[in-house]
Amino acid sequence: MITLTHFLVVSACIFCIGLYTVIAKRNAIMILIGIELMINAAILNFVAFSKYDKTNYGGQVFALFAIVLAAASVAVGLAIILNVYRHYKTINPDNITDLRD
Amino acid sequence: MQDINTQLPSILDQVIQSIPFFKAELALIFAFLGSIIATLFLDKLWKQSSFIITLIGIVSSFVLATQQFGQPQSGFFGMLIIDNFSVYSRGIILAALLICVVFIQQHFQYKTFGKNLGDVYSILLAAGLGINLLTSTTNWLLAFIAIETVSISSYILVGYFSENKRQTEASMKYVLFGSVSAAVMLYGLSLLYGFTGNLDFTSFEHIQGLIEAPKILLSVALLFMFTGLGFKLSFVPFHVWSPDVYEGAPTPVTAFLSTVPKIGAIILLARLFEEWTSSSFYFSELVLILISVASITTMLIGNLVALRQSNIKRMMAYSSIGHTGFLLMALVGNLASEPQVLLFYIAVYTIMNLAVFGLIDVMEQKIGSVQLENYQGLGKQFPITFSIFTLLGISLIGLPPTAGFIGKLFVFTSIFDLFQFNNNRYYLILLVVGALTSVISLFYYFKIPLYAFLRKGDEVKILPTKSTQIVYIISIILGITTLLLGIFPNLLLTLFK
Repeated sequence: MITLTHFLVVSACIFCIGLYTVIAKRNAIMILIGIELMINAAILNFVAFSKYDKTNYGGQVFALFAIVLAAASVAVGLAIILNVYRHYKTINPDNITDLRD
Repeated sequence: MQDINTQLPSILDQVIQSIPFFKAELALIFAFLGSIIATLFLDKLWKQSSFIITLIGIVSSFVLATQQFGQPQSGFFGMLIIDNFSVYSRGIILAALLICVVFIQQHFQYKTFGKNLGDVYSILLAAGLGINLLTSTTNWLLAFIAIETVSISSYILVGYFSENKRQTEASMKYVLFGSVSAAVMLYGLSLLYGFTGNLDFTSFEHIQGLIEAPKILLSVALLFMFTGLGFKLSFVPFHVWSPDVYEGAPTPVTAFLSTVPKIGAIILLARLFEEWTSSSFYFSELVLILISVASITTMLIGNLVALRQSNIKRMMAYSSIGHTGFLLMALVGNLASEPQVLLFYIAVYTIMNLAVFGLIDVMEQKIGSVQLENYQGLGKQFPITFSIFTLLGISLIGLPPTAGFIGKLFVFTSIFDLFQFNNNRYYLILLVVGALTSVISLFYYFKIPLYAFLRKGDEVKILPTKSTQIVYIISIILGITTLLLGIFPNLLLTLFK
């Protein structure tokens, strides 16, 4: 029997993997993948919780919108990373440090 | 499935009935589409067509928004809340957006960089739509969509031109940091939804769910949720992106980023704060502590780090972080008084920041630099510009007789009232830190007149530019407005009654 707890544990694990990918930053595209994992963890949560919200389906609607918004922001992110690559010939955020205190 | 079929006609009826409440935003949406079409087809015939459509869209949205004044309504199943608070803030937002559009048009008018300027207007309109929605909702779904709309538009605005290395770097930092914050916020919202089963943060079920939620999980969820809002407002510790982005972005875009999105986010936070701190349960206390601590550290870090900046855009970035801390304090003070204190401070902050960035833009085009030491001795060459600069500095510090002083005075008074009312020590710390950081800010704002008037420098060769006149005039008018509002604050206060 798969209960709500199982979903929550899986989503917490996915969120942590995503967060680790972001913090370990080697490559801007890997960071975007990490962000995508974090968003998917949240979406999984929403859909799992929505089981108890049969009147409004708020969670399911939120999940749909979150998928669309994640796609949009990743598209913009990839375009910007492409621009960065044209100027710097690298996409490792550690090497791109012209702006700092 | 069967009951949805029977409900569908009534749902559709309510959606159709709600459309008139949405007319100010509809004007922006139509202008957005119109400006895209104009960019594609009409700009070849007449270069300014998309710009004119954008201006018409913003002005008509402003007019439609002001018509909603005094008639509190809610539409789309309670997702859209139209009240006077929302009308005032949308008025400020649209006016500021209009000025930003003119700044951007003037800045890039004569530059040839192989990209179509018309696209920028449509992106600005999309950002305006998102910010407008932020001010008139209490629903997490709509709030998240609005925040993402603003964020995605802002990423594009920063990265669109990519004239040089720094701009691309700024946009990459912005998009990565922003997306991570949004993802963390989404996870926090999913937890909040799990506790409460309702997405409207003012609803009874939501508050009830928060009261019953386990404390540790609730703290985590609130922290995650504040990550997203904190990124938009750039309060400490989510401020690290803002100096880099403000320095790297083109100056008129910085003027936009430092004012308009912050208004929307602070209004959403004000609604949330007012609703959630009215109870005496654990989560109210937690929200109050989180906001107070964020406000205190933001004011301290913003103003202290600004002291050692030599790039004026970076200095203004830290200054606006400091002002965010003060805005959070005004938000706490909002509990004691009418919303006009918060609105007055927001309006004054917007006017001051737009004027400063307008003047920075003018000087950047004239001398080709944004370093403070290059302002040496320029006071003689540009007496009016630097007099207004000094006036704005005085207003940003909060000294009389400027509007900044009146704004800060109101905030301090309302916080002091709160402190006398319930003796919470956080209010006292807020007051002390607020006063202290205002003194600290004196040292870096006065660097501008110090370099311009008191240091001697060589005569600077003025670069030939054609496009600074209008920005210059707007900045000077805004600068004089801060003085006028400082002497006659009632001009604005009676408006916000």
